[in-house]
Amino acid sequence: MKITFVKKIQLDGNFCKKCKEVQDKINAADQNQFIDQVIIADERDPSSPGMVLAALYSADRAPFFIVEKEGRSPEVYTIYFKFVKEVLGQKITEEDQLKEILNDNPDLNFL
Amino acid sequence: MSDQILPIVDIDLQLSGQAPEEIMAYALSKFKNIAISFSGAEDVVLIDMAHKISPGKVQIFSLDTGRLHPETYRFFEKVRDHYSVKIDIVFPDTMALNNLVREKGLFSFYKDDHKECCGIRKIGPLRSKLLTLDAWITGQRRDQSPGTRSAIPVIQDDMAFSRPQEKLVKFNPLANWTSQQVWAYIRQNNLPYNELHDKGFVSIGCEPCTRPTGPGQHEREGRWWWEEATAKECGLHEVNTKK
Repeated sequence: MKITFVKKIQLDGNFCKKCKEVQDKINAADQNQFIDQVIIADERDPSSPGMVLAALYSADRAPFFIVEKEGRSPEVYTIYFKFVKEVLGQKITEEDQLKEILNDNPDLNFL
Repeated sequence: MSDQILPIVDIDLQLSGQAPEEIMAYALSKFKNIAISFSGAEDVVLIDMAHKISPGKVQIFSLDTGRLHPETYRFFEKVRDHYSVKIDIVFPDTMALNNLVREKGLFSFYKDDHKECCGIRKIGPLRSKLLTLDAWITGQRRDQSPGTRSAIPVIQDDMAFSRPQEKLVKFNPLANWTSQQVWAYIRQNNLPYNELHDKGFVSIGCEPCTRPTGPGQHEREGRWWWEEATAKECGLHEVNTKK
């Protein structure tokens, strides 16, 4: 299994807020060991590797994870807690998952 | 799911120029295990469109948060009768809701923000329902949330709610319509609608979190008005991510 972590650099040159938050969680949970490569999606450069991957996998928000398993199509995870639960097999609270989904999908407010 | 692998971005480009009825027809033709998410508001147009294509055969579900207006509950019944359809009403997890109310009371959203309550009352049940589906249809439109940069496509790969190792496809047939177009459809086709609209409500959600809006106000101003509008800027610019 190969895991790619794609983080976004904004137009102002800083990492996006959510990318920093997710990186902090990864550090705190000692999950860097599971990540094979980190790729940058630089909004100032549409041809940057991360932006190309975002287009390739139709990932419309950052950060995201690409999980490649032998003989299977790559899976893309835009929800960190979903990635942790389904790929890393670690326990997470329902409350954390639901909050992250709503934070990342404000359009769901209008359902 | 359909055994056909859908190139979502390409189909979005193709469908985005089509009328909502055509997008609905496409969705229903491609998926058998598909359902309409009905909020009890102007998204009744989705049910009407689906009914004209495939009368009585489309699954419909609604999220009952337990805090909806009485008018909305009455509207669910009106729609059920009008179209002779079943509406699957989905409820929050009792244990999670009990914990929230016991610890924080019935109006915690006024002190914290609406997300914890919405997570338990709306997003949790929504996820449970979506785990049973291959595709779903919403009434989401671009003009509902002018502050967010990420545009709502007419079809998307729903990465938030998909089952592990599987795809969930989300259709937003009304994405390109304005509120005015939706209401023109409702009036022209004499559709039933939620009586709250006649009382000044544009966007309808839970009773404690929804209020009527005045002339010139955006519908978003009728929801969670006590919260500061903060931009969420972690979307990848559409212009940069399109193939």
